[in-house]
Amino acid sequence: MSKGPRSIRGPGKAKTTIVSRRSQHEYRKRKDDIKRVIASMTVGKRRKLVVPILMNYAKTQPELVILAVNTFVKDSDDPNPLVRALAIRTMGCLRAEKIIDYLCDPLQKALRDENPYVRKTAALCVAKLYDLKPELVMENGFLEQLHDMISDSNPMVVANTVAALTDIHIAATSSEPSTSSIDNSSTVFHITTAILNKLLVALNECSEWGRVAILNALARYTAADDKESEHICERVVPQFQHINGSVVLAAVKVVMIHLRNVKREDLGKQLIRKMAPPLVTLLSSPPEVQWVALRNINLLLQKRPELLSSEIRVFFCKYNDPLYVKVEKLDIMVRLANDKNVDALLSELKEYASEVDVDFVRKSVKAIGQTAVKIDEAAEKCVNVLLELIATRVSYVVQEAIVVMKDIFRKYPSTYEGVIPTLCANLDELDEPEAKASLIWIIGEYANKIDNADELLTLFVDTFTEESYPVQLQTLTAVVKLFLKKPDSSQAIVQQVLNTATKDCDSPDVRDRAYIYWRLLSMDPAAAKSVVLSHRPPISIPRTTVAPAVLEELIGEIGSLASVYHKPAETFIGKGRLSADAIQRKVGPGEDDESQLSTQKALQTVVAGQQSENLLDFGDEPSTEGGGLSGLAATQTMLAQPAAANLIAGTSSNPLDDLVSIFGNVSMQPMSATPSAAPGGGFGGFDFGQAPTSAAPQAVDAFAGLSATPAAPPPQQQKPQEDLLGLF
Amino acid sequence: MGIDGLIILDNAGRSIIQSGFRSTTPAYPLLQIDAVNTALAAASRPTDVDPVIQVQHPSNSDIPSACCHVACGDLRILCPISGNVDPLVGFAFLQTFVDILQEYFGGVSLAIVKDNFDVVYQLLEETLDSVGHPLTTSHNALRDIVLPPSLFSKLLNAATANLAAIGGGTPIQGPPAGPFSSQIPWRKAGVKYASNEMYIDVNENLQAIVNKQGVPLTSSAYGKIEVACRLSGTPDCTLNFTNPQVMTDCSFHPCVRLQRWSRDKHMSFIPPDGHFVLAEYRYTPNTNSNSAITRFANPSSTAPSPKEVVPIPFAIKAKFEVEETTGTNGATGRAASFPGTLSATVMLMLTTRPIENVFVELNLGESAHAIKCVASRESGGLGRGLSALESGHAGSASASWSFDSRKKVLRWEIPNVPPSTHWSLQGSFAASTTPPRPSHALQVRFEIQSHTFSALKVDQLKITGEGYKPYKGVRGRSTGNVEWRW
Repeated sequence: MSKGPRSIRGPGKAKTTIVSRRSQHEYRKRKDDIKRVIASMTVGKRRKLVVPILMNYAKTQPELVILAVNTFVKDSDDPNPLVRALAIRTMGCLRAEKIIDYLCDPLQKALRDENPYVRKTAALCVAKLYDLKPELVMENGFLEQLHDMISDSNPMVVANTVAALTDIHIAATSSEPSTSSIDNSSTVFHITTAILNKLLVALNECSEWGRVAILNALARYTAADDKESEHICERVVPQFQHINGSVVLAAVKVVMIHLRNVKREDLGKQLIRKMAPPLVTLLSSPPEVQWVALRNINLLLQKRPELLSSEIRVFFCKYNDPLYVKVEKLDIMVRLANDKNVDALLSELKEYASEVDVDFVRKSVKAIGQTAVKIDEAAEKCVNVLLELIATRVSYVVQEAIVVMKDIFRKYPSTYEGVIPTLCANLDELDEPEAKASLIWIIGEYANKIDNADELLTLFVDTFTEESYPVQLQTLTAVVKLFLKKPDSSQAIVQQVLNTATKDCDSPDVRDRAYIYWRLLSMDPAAAKSVVLSHRPPISIPRTTVAPAVLEELIGEIGSLASVYHKPAETFIGKGRLSADAIQRKVGPGEDDESQLSTQKALQTVVAGQQSENLLDFGDEPSTEGGGLSGLAATQTMLAQPAAANLIAGTSSNPLDDLVSIFGNVSMQPMSATPSAAPGGGFGGFDFGQAPTSAAPQAVDAFAGLSATPAAPPPQQQKPQEDLLGLF
Repeated sequence: MGIDGLIILDNAGRSIIQSGFRSTTPAYPLLQIDAVNTALAAASRPTDVDPVIQVQHPSNSDIPSACCHVACGDLRILCPISGNVDPLVGFAFLQTFVDILQEYFGGVSLAIVKDNFDVVYQLLEETLDSVGHPLTTSHNALRDIVLPPSLFSKLLNAATANLAAIGGGTPIQGPPAGPFSSQIPWRKAGVKYASNEMYIDVNENLQAIVNKQGVPLTSSAYGKIEVACRLSGTPDCTLNFTNPQVMTDCSFHPCVRLQRWSRDKHMSFIPPDGHFVLAEYRYTPNTNSNSAITRFANPSSTAPSPKEVVPIPFAIKAKFEVEETTGTNGATGRAASFPGTLSATVMLMLTTRPIENVFVELNLGESAHAIKCVASRESGGLGRGLSALESGHAGSASASWSFDSRKKVLRWEIPNVPPSTHWSLQGSFAASTTPPRPSHALQVRFEIQSHTFSALKVDQLKITGEGYKPYKGVRGRSTGNVEWRW
């Protein structure tokens, strides 16, 4: 065999690639390495080290690599299976068209090789070949051979075959019909019942990576009936005990998908119960793995809240946990909160609120509020904890606690008025708009119970033009509330605030809201009362952060990028473009119209939200993705509400032109599908208050009357508009 | 689609070695490296960087792409993934690769990787296919195709081709009897040892959080049964335990026959050659039988009943005082300073064994400085001969403390805490500008030799299928990671 020429060519190539990249010193070191490589090449033991060099070469100077092809073709007949496999693998790696033509014959032989190692290497090589030149795969009948190889006696060959077929399937289905010469139907890896059984057999015997490939294939299988689904679940469950976390997660995905068809309730419960231990075990892994596990657990809990219901303690944060792990744990803890574990949870949250990391402390305080909103019985305890935190006088803790108190007031109106003096005592220390706005909202809401409400509000009215817009809006509303509740003592202040807001304020939102109030007050104080002081629907904590349809899709993608980002794959692929027909294609014909519609809507919203992420910057949902995603989550929650869906359905035919013209908020236009997303903006009027986020009260206040009857927004909208026009 | 490749970065964020990327554009790995470096630079603490970073695919924006990365000693290893793949596959592969490096070189560091450049490169080639499928990752199979850097192979490398031409270059173990010829994928065929041995290590790691009152909030031991197997031929092992019920949430090496385990709690397996993890489990007392249900039905979940947690083998009393006396008045022009004192005592609850290598760490907060401490042994052993002997044996190994001024972490180290001894740390510190906000949690790490929390006991290890009588050994070892709040 001609090893000589190769070893002579070797160093030359090595120099050209390496010298260009490395400093002289590095070069010397590498030169030694190359020498070693060449030495071992000659021995015939380590010829694979030449491969990376050749691969680099194939990219830059394909015509020279041709010279090496002969050797590879010869090697593919070597008695040593390792050499045969390496030859096939190397030829597949060299991305040069000319080599490809020489590859087919050796590949043909390798697919039928007696040695399983060669066969499994060859299987993967077919996928590589398909990527380079699909025609060759079709012409040589490699696809049929691959299908035959699913029945191979060696489980590793089966696994690699499945991986190769899946790769080809993805490549064939994702590419545009530009490769029209190929009949697409044959490239689709359709999993039949016969294949299914072979996969289930191979599953228990191959390597961890093979298992992941097979499990992913099983996730695509559509079971014929519930019996088959049960069978698949039962066969996959032992994989939960695999030591490799990615196998566990892939198995969880398969079970979650096929569980949809399982009709026996006891079996379903049993499967869910078996899912808990491996997920808990993942939490003893390194933080990176924990994070991926936590993101997936978060998703699973939205679908199956009973999972892990007794395991809240494993999610307790340690001081040394990285922030991304802590934040995720916090979210899950709130999700798992129930009246039994709430005491332990609260003392934990209180502990976290004394930590140093500002972001984490804020999220912990927020979590206390969410717990209060979620569990009625625990609300009082939560309020007490918040009061303790306010007593620490740490600025950001106090401010966050006040924001949270506002949510509690919304959920439990007129229950905790006793704490209002404590809150007001901190008025001077507030410097964040959100906290200020929250406190002002509370003052306005309970103006009749706070003796010095007018004094307190005067403070804000005096500095009105210096405040941020959300605070201005809140001040305006609060003063009007005060006036409606105590008309005698607040005549002057309401006059002052309306004057300032209409004359000196440069925000169109603030100005317009002031005009509307003014008009209402002067025309019909009773109407003003019914609008401004109307009953607000209490808020509740959303059980899911994504719309049910999206959730269903994400559950199908457990253990994937999509599930980690909590966004369907379409939305983070590319630039967030998502054409309508793409969605149509995505949604299977089997689904009924309604779910199709909601999936579509939800996806569109996600996309729209992504394009205008800057508008969605609430940043208060406990989520690692920061403001953008949490805003998204809130939007999706809105969509989950039937009322919101109605609204969107209504407005889709009737563009929001009217609204836009009233509020003159140009930035709202691209957001036509997400009216609730503008923080404190005029559109916030349509927030139905389901999201426990900060925007809710500010917005609801502005048009509380409107939002109380969300079913028919357009006509209601007309009225203020006319008033407004009259005013001008 | 899948795992695109691996990139090993040095601590300056430069690429040392990377696997061959299939990606059509050479910019792809560079983009990944850049994304990670940017994220690291932007983060206040390197540990807080999201472990999965989204990266825009350079050539085809329709392919989602992300970068999984882990720090490993002074290296950072990146694993770019593309397509809608499980990032956990990326992390699992990273972990596997690090384990392989560990197995080959006994450690992972920049120097080691640079010294063994050729072997690392071969490992990359053998473990990862350029289309993104992990290939051979089991140590047993890998050792056949990538020779570990032994003395002989070093010699071979140093000498040039002429030696090799004569020598024929056979490794010590003799020519592998045909790689991948073994019927059992995880065990290589034709293994031969002069002396047959099998050692079983039961390692348990206690993960616990203790609240201010000294009551454990959560406390579980995560166990790992590690096996060092040096047996010839194809032995079939059966491992019995006297108390298998202490192991919950088990996960197993693929070699373990799951059916046998679920039937009679015997671990029956044909072991891989060399070192491997046979099983992992969790130990939480009294939750062995149908854990989830009983605990759910049990309403006493406000505080875990003492039976539900693994007892912590030591106790700590910590006191922290901050005086706000001097310098708080800004008019004096002096920088405000807040002197504080701290004291902590460690007591060992265990009466049978000493705990070793105790590290107590406390983050003192941003502006801490002027740390002065005394670490001492308060009382010891109550006249027990054993402990006196032990401390005498330990000799110079007494408690010490240090302060990491960059991380603001006070570290207290006690190499050996004999049973029933008290150790204390007393000191003072000062903080400027803000009142000191030390973390409210002491992080305690420790080891206990020849001890397991679960008291898992191997009853019998039967080896059949081969004629020899191997030497067998079982050893327990515990480590702990306890957060002690005060």
